[in-house]
Amino acid sequence: MKRLLFLLILIGLFCSLFFSSAYAQVQVRLRVIHASNAGSNVDPALRDLHKELGSLFSFTSYHLMRDETLNLSLNQTASISAHEGRIILEATLVGLHRNVAEIRLRVVREGTEILNTQVRLFPGRTILVGGPRHRRGGVVIYALYARF
Amino acid sequence: MEKYFDQEVTGEERVLVEGHLRGCPACRDTLKSLEELSTSIKVPVEQAVQKEDFPWVWQKIEREIRLQKKPTWWKSLRSWIEVSPLLKRKVWIPAVATVVVLLFITAQIIFKQTPSYPDASVVEYVESPTDNVMVYHLEKPKVTIIWVFDEPAKDQTTS
Repeated sequence: MKRLLFLLILIGLFCSLFFSSAYAQVQVRLRVIHASNAGSNVDPALRDLHKELGSLFSFTSYHLMRDETLNLSLNQTASISAHEGRIILEATLVGLHRNVAEIRLRVVREGTEILNTQVRLFPGRTILVGGPRHRRGGVVIYALYARF
Repeated sequence: MEKYFDQEVTGEERVLVEGHLRGCPACRDTLKSLEELSTSIKVPVEQAVQKEDFPWVWQKIEREIRLQKKPTWWKSLRSWIEVSPLLKRKVWIPAVATVVVLLFITAQIIFKQTPSYPDASVVEYVESPTDNVMVYHLEKPKVTIIWVFDEPAKDQTTS
């Protein structure tokens, strides 16, 4: 009887730890934007960001290249390539709290790391990572937003 | 004679009594009077029973039962614990304690009670081995910009 009880407790411990780590997940919306001064087109899909982009940057054209929703688990890395694979953004969830997601971001351009940062995504806050040059002119901007 | 009338005699005694009754008119009269007495009592009792409203009596009893005070949940639990032989065993005490600790640990892992970093910065660190980096925070709208000055830099800078 005691052995059986001990075994049940061990199974319970294992299951609870397994499920708690398995369900620690956050949903991150990641948009890859090509910003340039060629024309004055703003992608309709960026309507919600247009005001912010317009007030922050002096580009006249914004084109949405990719719109991804990443379901990140702890220590899981998602790679998003842009610009025909020349620029890659790697996002790794390194910490998850009740309403804060800690994410490590690496931007790699043609095999060279150009940015390594760790950010905290709060509800309602957008993080824009920009600067890598696009071959057709302009720059690439990543917009990250976490959904809790 | 009363025993015979009440059917409390043995078979042998009954045969003897019935044999005697055939030849004894006095005893037959006694038996007859006993039968008449029994009938005179039985008939009014049966009539009274027929008149009595038993469902109403039962309703009254039920109402009395319902009015009795219900035991509190704590008393019920205690009585259940006292009855249940499993819970009398002390092995359940460490088991329950372990489950409570497990639940606490699991809740800590799932929710990570450190609530919301009210004053914490959005950018924990930023580095670039090749370019200059600027970090800019805006509160309205809530935007944080990390900008890599992707220029052919002559000297490598880390911000």
